This record gives sequence, structure tokens and C-alpha cells, in this order.
Amino acid sequence: MLFNSLSFVAFFIIVLGLYYSNFLQWKGKKRMLLLSSYIFYGMWNPPLVVLLWISTIVDWTAGNKLSVLKNPVSRKMWLLISMVVNLGFLAFFKYGNFLLENFTTLVNAFGWEFQAKPMDLILPMGISFYTFQTMSYTIDMYKGKQEKAKTFLDFALYVTFFPQLVAGPIVRAKDLISQFYEPKKATLNQFIWGLFLLTIGVFQKVVLADALLSSTSDKVFDSTKILHGLDAWIGTLAFSGQIFFDFAGYSTCAIGIALMLGIILPDNFKYPYAAIGFSDLWRRWHISLSSWLRDYLYIPLGGNRHGITRMYVALTLTMLLGGLWHGAAWTFVIWGILHGIYLVLERLLKKLVPIKINNWNGIIFALLTYSMVNITWVFFRANGLDSAKKMITSMFYLNPNGEKLLGFAEIGKVSIIISLLFLCHWAMRNTSMRAISKKMPAWVFGIIWAGLFFLICLAQGSGEQFIYFQF
Amino acid sequence: MNLKRSLWIALTSGFIFVSIWEFYVRSEGYASELDDNKALWAIQRAKVDHLTDDEVVLLGSSRVHYDIQLNEWEEATGIRPIMLASDGTTPTPIFKEIVDHTDFSGTVLIGVAPVLFFSEPGKGFMWDRPSKRLKHYYDRTYAQRANHLLSIPLERSFSFLNASEEEWSDDIDLKTLINGISIGDRVPSGRLPFNNFGFVDADRNVTMFEKTRSDTAFANGIIKVWGSGWDKRPAPVLDAVISYYKPLIAKFKERGGEIIFLRCPSSGGNRERERAKIPRSEFWNPFIEQIESPGYHFEDYESLSHFTCPEESHLYTPDARLFTKEVVQILLNDNVIKTRKAN
Repeated sequence: MLFNSLSFVAFFIIVLGLYYSNFLQWKGKKRMLLLSSYIFYGMWNPPLVVLLWISTIVDWTAGNKLSVLKNPVSRKMWLLISMVVNLGFLAFFKYGNFLLENFTTLVNAFGWEFQAKPMDLILPMGISFYTFQTMSYTIDMYKGKQEKAKTFLDFALYVTFFPQLVAGPIVRAKDLISQFYEPKKATLNQFIWGLFLLTIGVFQKVVLADALLSSTSDKVFDSTKILHGLDAWIGTLAFSGQIFFDFAGYSTCAIGIALMLGIILPDNFKYPYAAIGFSDLWRRWHISLSSWLRDYLYIPLGGNRHGITRMYVALTLTMLLGGLWHGAAWTFVIWGILHGIYLVLERLLKKLVPIKINNWNGIIFALLTYSMVNITWVFFRANGLDSAKKMITSMFYLNPNGEKLLGFAEIGKVSIIISLLFLCHWAMRNTSMRAISKKMPAWVFGIIWAGLFFLICLAQGSGEQFIYFQF
Repeated sequence: MNLKRSLWIALTSGFIFVSIWEFYVRSEGYASELDDNKALWAIQRAKVDHLTDDEVVLLGSSRVHYDIQLNEWEEATGIRPIMLASDGTTPTPIFKEIVDHTDFSGTVLIGVAPVLFFSEPGKGFMWDRPSKRLKHYYDRTYAQRANHLLSIPLERSFSFLNASEEEWSDDIDLKTLINGISIGDRVPSGRLPFNNFGFVDADRNVTMFEKTRSDTAFANGIIKVWGSGWDKRPAPVLDAVISYYKPLIAKFKERGGEIIFLRCPSSGGNRERERAKIPRSEFWNPFIEQIESPGYHFEDYESLSHFTCPEESHLYTPDARLFTKEVVQILLNDNVIKTRKAN
């Protein structure tokens, strides 16, 4: 089910009605939320709810064992069982075809003439998100950083909580399970603010990502021609906006919906296109994933504890795997490696050329960071390596006679939206929407809210899927 | 800031903004109507799995869609056909799917719009579009079905919800409005303005807008679209289409199914172009002869050939009603369709 759909509106009204009704006790409300979460997921593909159940049962069992076992070998075995099951599902459904294709290419390179029938697999929606979330519970239990969930119901709800089930934020057990222990109810202000966040999220998705930017981005990236530099840049900028509004929109909806139930989810985006440098970027973009990768991959790989070379290797490897997390394709691998290289170069440069960042040079560095991020988006969005290569060549004006695809109006539209996006991120870099709204007169805020609602109605979204659902 | 006050202001202002927009679009002539999208099509396709052998499925492109009126057909035979004709498509992939993936053994009437029908099987937009509809039919989720069911009462109530999967030039969603802005000539202008000229009921029965007949400028805009791009189109093919249909028809007939081909009227310049580029003697006649199935060409019947299409390709609805009555009468006289009505 999509947040930007009529079925979700009906679903959520029923959930809210039951949640705030007097005839259910807290345990009953949690059961209702769990059932609702399975319905939310099952409305897409009912049989795949079984995967959620398996993950839930395996990690609940592993967590229980880890909480009582003292023998290091047994503890390691239960951790391994959890990881093999979770990563096994992920590997099979998400990387099965990719591995098969590459295996076929490899053996054919040795003249075997092997032909494999592609596996006709459905990628379970949000599998990368809930797998990482549930794995964090078991790993933290193994490390002794997490207490066992009090009840199976609390744990199952943690794995399946519908606002963030399919596209995050990836919430740690310590931040969410404990919220289920005591009855929760949103205050009036929390409820209204949650509703506003839901409006903003849907606005980002339906109006900005789908209605205003997706057509330009699709036109450019789906073209098989060698493009004019301006068209390649505008298409890439459009995609940079589309992916931000799409994904941040989902996270904002998720946070708003949870808040309307009195549950607090962490921020997932903090105005990332105003980032100064790439370390800053990853503290602002998909925060829940980057912190997961830091805690469960980068640090176990050695982090910065074993010298500079090992740190750079760990960093690059973490980003490479982060790229693969997004999708089973070489373009995602390159995207990850590029980010790894950026992070390594940034650390090297910081040592060699110490620069004091102030307001004046900050915006220049932010613009430079954003431009370099756009290079990586080409690999993220391109339909293949050839297409990415053509785009990069065009972007560096190496195709002077490239095809012109976009009219001046479309170029103007994207330029205006992306300039406003960048300036808005810069202006909001050290503040928050809540802080800004508090300084606003109530009527101004109300009119802005109404304007967002009107534009959502005008856009008449056709229920386009969120990009991150495929990850 | 008082959030409660902001919410009330937002609700009131939002209601006012939307109401003003709704009144404005109504004043511009927009009506609340259903979108003839893949979800609506899939509902009709699902019915095919439960049809009896005296029932009828209509396939084809927009000509069958506009020219065959379901009420008139039902009135004459007591059977309401299932409308699966899809605008701007060849019916071939849908017919193949019905033959290969259903047990339907009733009658399939296939409309033949020459430029779409005599095209290379498996290629071009005329093939891709129905294939996408079929894909949606098989892949649609419960959430998508619920979304569509919930959208129907809204589409029927609000004129501002006037955006179509067809992406008409006169849609009034934000994307179309913004993308309709054109500045300078950096790139050649895209497709000609192509406005919607009919609306569908829940069972996909089409009614042509009255202005298509009365507003010459409006009709001329559509006529220009029909006339464009002929030079770029691939040459029509006959043998490949016959080879594709023959085994399908044999399989369908073997289980008791009947198939009828119908060539609906066209007029003016459009008809002249069809005559010149896809002449009947080279395509329709040999096709009907070789596939050994009944074929009805409007030119062969006085009662079917006197109609004029206001935009040269489709009948105005009152004419379509007469046309349907005449077609059904001919088919009944020839005993190629069944009736549940006593003589």
C-alpha cells in the first residue's frame, strides 16, 4: 500500500479510529497495529507476508537464546543462524539474478557456453529495510547492547510497524521496541504536526517528484541517444531532486504517521543537498542507513582503529556494499565506490589543505559537493553502464553535437525547482521545519498548508510507487 | 504558533481553494468523468473468465470502442457484450491472451482499424499499449484494485480530477499544465495537441462529446492528429498478421468459439488515406478470405455506409447507436451471434 493512495487514506482512518477508540486496551491496540501492518504489506502481495513472519520468528528465537546463553560458540551460532536466514532471503530474492548473470558471463568468458534460465523472482517490497532492521536487533543482542524484547508482540510489531516497514527509516530496536511497552497516545499538537508532516511528505512525492521532475528525468535517462551537455545535466539535476523528494517524502510521511499514533521515529534526512563535503552528506542523507552501515559494517571492518590504509579500505568497502544494498547492478556498485572514493579523498584533502569553513565559502563547498553528488546519481539512475557512460561524456561536454531533448520551458522548470531546493537546504542547514514553523503566525502556516493540499489535489497523483520500494 | 488554529485555517482555505478550482474547470466545460485507464479495463477483462458461450467480447481499437454501443447491443440480443477494445491499439495480443489463457468459448468480435490492425505482430506502440494493460491485469495488487474502486466515486463527482492515462493535451492535472508550457524552439514541437473527445461509463461504453460534432475547430484538431505521421509509420503487413491469427482462430474454434471481424466506418481525408495506403483489395479482402472467418465491411452494407464521422474516424454517439443496431441485425440475420430474446 502506498501513502499517496486512496486505499491508504481509508486504511489509516480505520486504524486511527480503532487506535483511539476506548474499547481496545493497549495490548489490543498493539495487536490491531500488527494485524494492520500485515494487511498494509499483504495488500501488495499476500504470500510474501510469510517472509516477514519467518524473519520475525527466527530473530525472536535467536534473541531469546542470546539473552540466556553464555557459551560464546552457541551465541555465535545463533547470531549466524539469524544472519544466514535474513541475508539468505535478501541474497536469493535481490541478488539471485545478478549473481546468475555474472556467473554466466564469467564461465562463458572461459568458453563454457553456459546458458542459465533467468530466475523469475519478485523482489519482496522493502526486504532490504526490514532485513537490516531485524538484523540490528540480533546483532545488538549478541553484543549485549540490547535487552530482549519484553513480549513477542512487541518484537513482531517492531519488525513490521507499517509506517516504516517498506522504506524506512531503519529504526534500531532500542529506539522503537521500548516505545511499545507503555500505552502511547499522540498529544493534540503531535497529532496535528504529524498530519502536517504527512501532507508535506505526500506533497514532496506527488507534486515535486512525480508531477514536476520525473518526466524530465525519465526523458533524459530513457533516451538511447548521445545527448547535449545541457540536457544531460538538467536530466541529472531533475533526478537528484526527484530521488530526494521521493525518498525524503516517504520518510516524512512515515514519521508523520507514526507521530499521529504517538510513536516517535528518528529523522532520516537533514537537508542533505546543503552538505559541505561527503562525511556531512552521509550525516544528512538516509541517516538511518548510513548509521547502520557505520555501526554494523564500517566499525566491524576495523573503522579507524587499524591505521589509515585499513580505514580507507573499510570506508570504500562499506560504501560499495551500501551501493549494492540499493540494487543488484554494477551501476550501483560504481555509485557506492564513487562515494567511497569521495570520502577517502575528502579525508586526504582535509589533512593536506586545512580550510576553515564559514558562511561565505560554505555555500561554494556545498555547491561543489552537490555537483559531485550529481555525478554519482548518473550511475544510480542510468539503465546500464553504457547509458551512464554516455551521460557522463555528455555532462562533461565531450559530445558537442549531442541531441537536444529538452525545451527551454522544461530546462527553466528544472532549474528553478533545483535552485530553490538547494537554497532551501542551505537556509535550513542548521535549523528544522518545526523551529521555523514556531516563528510563523498561525494563519500564514495554515495558508501554506492549504496551498500544499491544493497542489496535491491539482497534481492528482496516479499512485506512482516510491523509488525506494524497489530496494 | 497555535497548531490547532493553523489546522482549521488550512482545512477551510484548502476547501475554498479546491472549490474555486472545481468551479473554474466546470466553467471551462470540463465534466466529471471516469478515466478509461488500465484498471477500468482490467475489471472488464476479469469478467471474461466467467462468461457463458452465448456471450460476446468486443476487441479492437477506438473505432469499435466508439461505434459499438453496449445498450443497443443488449437491447437487441439480451446480452451485454464485454468491451475490451482499447484506443490506439491492435486487438491481436488481447485475442491471443483470451485464446491461450481463458476457457471462453463464446463470440469474439474484432474491430479492424487498418492502420493499427495490419501492423507487424509484437512491434510498435499499437502492440505495447494493450500488452501493458494485460500486464496490469495479471500484476495488479489488491491495493491497486482498492485504489481504483475508491477513485470511481471521486472521478464521478469532481470535474477537476480530469487527468487521463491517455495523457490528453487538455488534461488539467499539474503535470500536463506545466508540461504544456512551451518557450522558444530549442527542440521541435512534440506531438500535435490531442484532446479527449469522449467519456466512458463504468463498463467502458463510450459517449462522444457533443462538441466533437458541433465545434468544427475542435474536430479539426483531432483530424490533424489522424493525418499526422503517416510517412513515418512502418508499412502495413498482411502475411505476418494472417500467420499470427490462423493458429489462434483454429484453437478458438476448436473449443467452440466464434470470431467475427468488423470494419467500422471512416470518413473524409482519413478514409482516403486508408484507401490509398492500406487498400481494401490488398489487405481486408485477402485477410478475410484466408482466415476463413466472417468479416463485415461497412462499405458492403447500405445500412452501414451512410454515416459520417465528425472527426473522420469515429461515429457520433447517436449515429453509433444506429450503427450498432444495424450491425447486430446483420449478425443475427447471418446467425453468427446468439440472442437470448425470443423472436
